[in-house]
Amino acid sequence: MSLDTPAAAPAPSDTDPLLDSLTAVFRRVLELAEVPADGNFFLLGGDSLVATRVLSAVARTHGVELTFDEFLVDPTPAGLAARVAAATAVAGAR
Amino acid sequence: MSAAALSPASDSPSAGALRSAVVVGAGLAGLTAAVELAERDVRVTVLEARERVGGRARGIEVAPGRWVDAGAAYLGDRHTELHALLAACDLKTAPTEMAGAARFALGSPEAPAATVEGRFPPLNAVALGDLFEQLEELAAAVRPEAPWLTPDAERLDALTAADWAQQQLPHPDARLFFPLFLGEMMAADPAKVSVLHMAFYLRSGGGLRYLNAFAGGAQQDRVAGGAHRLCERLARRLLAAGGVLRTAEPVLSVEQSDGEVTVRTPEGSYRAQAAVVAVPPLLADAIEYRPGLPVRRAGARTGRGCAVKLHLVFPEPVWRAHGLSGWSVNAAGPLLSTVDDTPPEGSPGVLTGFVTGAEAHRFAALPPAEQRAAAVAQARRLFPVLPEPVGFHVTDWVNEPWSRGCYAALFGPGDWSALGPALTAPHGRVRFAGTETSTEFFGLLEGAVRSGRRAAAELLDL
Repeated sequence: MSLDTPAAAPAPSDTDPLLDSLTAVFRRVLELAEVPADGNFFLLGGDSLVATRVLSAVARTHGVELTFDEFLVDPTPAGLAARVAAATAVAGAR
Repeated sequence: MSAAALSPASDSPSAGALRSAVVVGAGLAGLTAAVELAERDVRVTVLEARERVGGRARGIEVAPGRWVDAGAAYLGDRHTELHALLAACDLKTAPTEMAGAARFALGSPEAPAATVEGRFPPLNAVALGDLFEQLEELAAAVRPEAPWLTPDAERLDALTAADWAQQQLPHPDARLFFPLFLGEMMAADPAKVSVLHMAFYLRSGGGLRYLNAFAGGAQQDRVAGGAHRLCERLARRLLAAGGVLRTAEPVLSVEQSDGEVTVRTPEGSYRAQAAVVAVPPLLADAIEYRPGLPVRRAGARTGRGCAVKLHLVFPEPVWRAHGLSGWSVNAAGPLLSTVDDTPPEGSPGVLTGFVTGAEAHRFAALPPAEQRAAAVAQARRLFPVLPEPVGFHVTDWVNEPWSRGCYAALFGPGDWSALGPALTAPHGRVRFAGTETSTEFFGLLEGAVRSGRRAAAELLDL
């Protein structure tokens, strides 16, 4: 691996409070004990109704309102974390 | 073997062993109880007001040998007692597969409908999520086996779902969707049910997501050939076990004296050692009891489930060829939602329309020609490929005298506090059954089966 290659592996979740928070939302609404950072919401048993509960929780906790279509692009805790981080960065830059 | 078991007294039937029973109501709950009893050598007489069995399960033959459900229709994997009963009656289930895009007309009546993949409405997802999060929180807080003991029960029982929505749903999309959701899920006008009842119903049925889902949820399957066939098979089993079924005999009174129950109809009176009253609360409350009930079966605010079910029949399910599932949700009536109910054989094409909540009352009052014109015009706006239907059926459950509503009774403000503790309480040698007496899967076929089994078990224990 060359030095300028960005780290491919996601950071351990104990150093990523945003990812932790989203994983916890997935666990709560899907009623699962464990959800991996790359766990696909729909393969874990989620449906569109439950997905809106994730979006509601994200809006409440992180102040970011995502659409259902945005959620569908990468419906995993990690994918959602990236989207929330990007939205927060844009908002911060404005 | 103990000495007691060898004593002569235990060889003869004990004094308490039940030998005869009358069951009021030949719906799924009553027939389940009746068969359980009759197959254990109890002489059972079932009294039914209608000329048919099945109660809120009724079939419509839309083409020779092809049936759809005019009333209760769906089941899911968690409906274990119903599945067991279907298997015991040699009946199969058919999946409610739904492929293709849905149609949503959620703007003004004039605004064109939107075509959307899946079943998710084109509304603000965060606002709907806020709604569902709050509903799930309410449902999670309910004590399902005793809703009147739920924390804060007094306040939740006094508040209507409409008042709650007014306070809790700031976003217009959530306000628009809430009555449609409640109408579809429990055939309720939000102004007529308590928040406690709404929360209980959601909890009892397995939560929001389970109750709402087709695949993986409470609407995963239907009974092949129609849910009414289960009642017909149970009636056959009852007769085979020596039971008696008397139709067109509405029960007027249930009297008890000297350890005996006398049930009167306009045709005669029937005496037995015990009785099961297995009719919806509003009808159970209209029966005269002597001695009288300590707590009534329904209150002044107990409502009728507000559902009118429509079936539009076409030669083929033409919407499928256009990538549409037949599912639609609409802000304006009469068809607040539609679903593809084409029989598993693939024809005729059947589009089922649900007219629920306050709209059900309005629609039910229209003359038949206007009902048909309004429903067909709306269906063809939603699905422009539709030809003129070859068949059209209206099943008005709201005004059905021997059901007084469907899917189930709606507990209004104060009902759970007043009626709840007595819902399954014995009244001497009388027991109550019916889906509204089941705190598990209340309002569903599964609740009816569970209530019938409970009532029968209680009587066998007398």
